[in-house]
Order: sequence, then structure tokens, then C-alpha cells
Amino acid sequence: MSLYPEPTNIWESIEYSNLGITIAESTWMFPTIETLHVMALVTVLGMIMIVDLRLIGVHSRGLAVTKLSKDTLPWVWGAFAMAALTGGLLFVSKATSYVVNPYFLWKMVMLALAGINMMYFHFFTYRTVEHWDLDPSVPTAAKVAGGLSLVFWLAVLFFGRAIGFTLGIFY
Amino acid sequence: MGDLLFSFTEWLRTTQLVELALWISDTSASMFIVTHFWAIPIIQCIHIISIAASFASILMINARMFNIAGSSSMADTANRYIRVLWWALAALILSGIGMIIGEPVRELINPFFWIKMGLVVFGILISIWFHRGVLKHVAGGREIVGTDKATAAFLVLLWMAIMYCGRFIAYAPV
Repeated sequence: MSLYPEPTNIWESIEYSNLGITIAESTWMFPTIETLHVMALVTVLGMIMIVDLRLIGVHSRGLAVTKLSKDTLPWVWGAFAMAALTGGLLFVSKATSYVVNPYFLWKMVMLALAGINMMYFHFFTYRTVEHWDLDPSVPTAAKVAGGLSLVFWLAVLFFGRAIGFTLGIFY
Repeated sequence: MGDLLFSFTEWLRTTQLVELALWISDTSASMFIVTHFWAIPIIQCIHIISIAASFASILMINARMFNIAGSSSMADTANRYIRVLWWALAALILSGIGMIIGEPVRELINPFFWIKMGLVVFGILISIWFHRGVLKHVAGGREIVGTDKATAAFLVLLWMAIMYCGRFIAYAPV
């Protein structure tokens, strides 16, 4: 017989699933998955910072934006996939605590904004990149995209860290 | 393994580090951090941003060495990222000191903290050697050999081990 109560909503169903219980009851799984999450997120953050700092004109000003993107994007996507997978596993183990945590919700909002900003940059601003690829100072729209990206990703980091200090105090 | 870490902690408790940690926790700087809820998370964020900068720099140097990212010359790549690496290391050490001041007992009487410190010192020494003994010569035109690549890859693994210990400070059996 299960030691856990019957789930009354989707978040409890997720948390009391076999996967959720296995992670929550293990002494080493949560810290290990969390460590992999940190490794993935520092890779995402570091690679994105390299491109953003080039766009706002602080670093690598002499390097073509297209080349820098080509070098960093595989790392960003690979690490993002790992961050999403490990983040999903962490969520499953404490779903009910996460969904009521305002910092978790803000983190999701910031992730969405970072994604929208990236898509806008990719589908609109980046289309004219051949005109400013090698310019040390890129057009304002690209600078704004780089600046917003930095702000959103640093906010993702801050809210992510804040979750660790506030989990379980909102209910 | 857990027993070994417990023994390590027990030993740390018999050293002068306890006095030191208690003395630090009485300083006004420590009091300030303790009484400001967001101080530790913000210092931790600065620490993580610094790790992101240094880890990404090492990955980019690696990618160039292994010809995964071949956009610019080895000299350009080395020059571009090695400076970031050293500045990021400085920020890492400063924010790390901030965390020790804020939570001296949690850090100083912690086996993972000291394993991490050992790895950090080792990492800095390897980085200096990698910078002076490898990157400078390779950037100067010497061909990249197997040991250069091995050292670069080893630095990635070393940083991952440092991150592992860093996160496990929070989970140490103390």
C-alpha cells in the first residue's frame, strides 16, 4: 500500500508518481540531478553571455556575429536540453511545492521572455546580419536584443536560486 | 564514502577552523549578510555567473583545440577567452570569500568545501601552466599535440568536479 495520499490534482499526481517518489526518497538523486542542472545552466548562461556581450559591444567586437553564433549555438542547445531534462526531473519530485512558489513562476516567465526575445531576434533582426556581421557596433535592434537577453537570463538565474531559499514556505 | 566524509567533518571539528569560523560569524560583515535575506542568494548568483564565464571560456578554447569551432585562429581564440577566464576566476574568489563570511561554519567545517578548495588550487595551477606552457606556444604557431588537447579536456572535467563539490557543500553530511 502506498504511503502517500490519493492525489487530488495534477501536481500531486506528478509528485506521487513512481518517478517523483523515487527521486524524492533517494538521498543522492536530487542533489546529483541538481548538480547536472547547474552544469547545464552555467554552460547555457556562459555561451549566451559571449554572444550578448558581442551584440552590446563589450567583448569580441572584431569577430563576425555569424561565426560567434555558429560556435556557441550547439553548446547552448545541447546544454539547454540537459537543463530542461534535469529541471523537469527536479520539478517532478516536488511539483506541488514548485507550482505555488512565486520565484519558480517568475523563473518560467523569464524563460518565456528570453525565448520570445531570441525568436524575435532570429526571425527579424538577424535576417539583415550580412550588413552588420563584422561591424564592431551593431544596429540598435541587435543591441537591444543582446541587452534584453542578458537581463532575462540573469533573472532566470536569480529566480532559480531564489527557489532554493524559499521552497516549501508558501504553503 | 559517506563514512569517510563524516570522519573528515569530525576531524575538521577538532581543528582551529571552528574558532576561526565562530570569529568570522561575529564580524559586522558576517552579521550584515546574515541579517539581509537576499545577500547570500545574490552573492551565489555572482559566483554562478563567474563560473559560467570561466566554464564557457574553457569550453570555447577546447572547441577550438578539437576543431569543433574553427571560426577564428587558435591565437585569437586563446587571447579572447584566457583573459575572461582570469577575470572570472578573480570574481569567483571574491564572491566565494563573501559566501565564507556569510556562512563560515557551513563552509569551513564542510568536507566538500575543502575538497573543492584543493581542486580549485590544482585547477589554477593547471590553468597557469596551460596558459603559459601551452596556449602561448600554440598561439605562436606551434602545432597542437595530443597532450595539449588532453590538458584542455582535463580542465573541463576539473571544472565539472569543482561544480559538483560546490553544489554538494549544501548536502554534506555534517
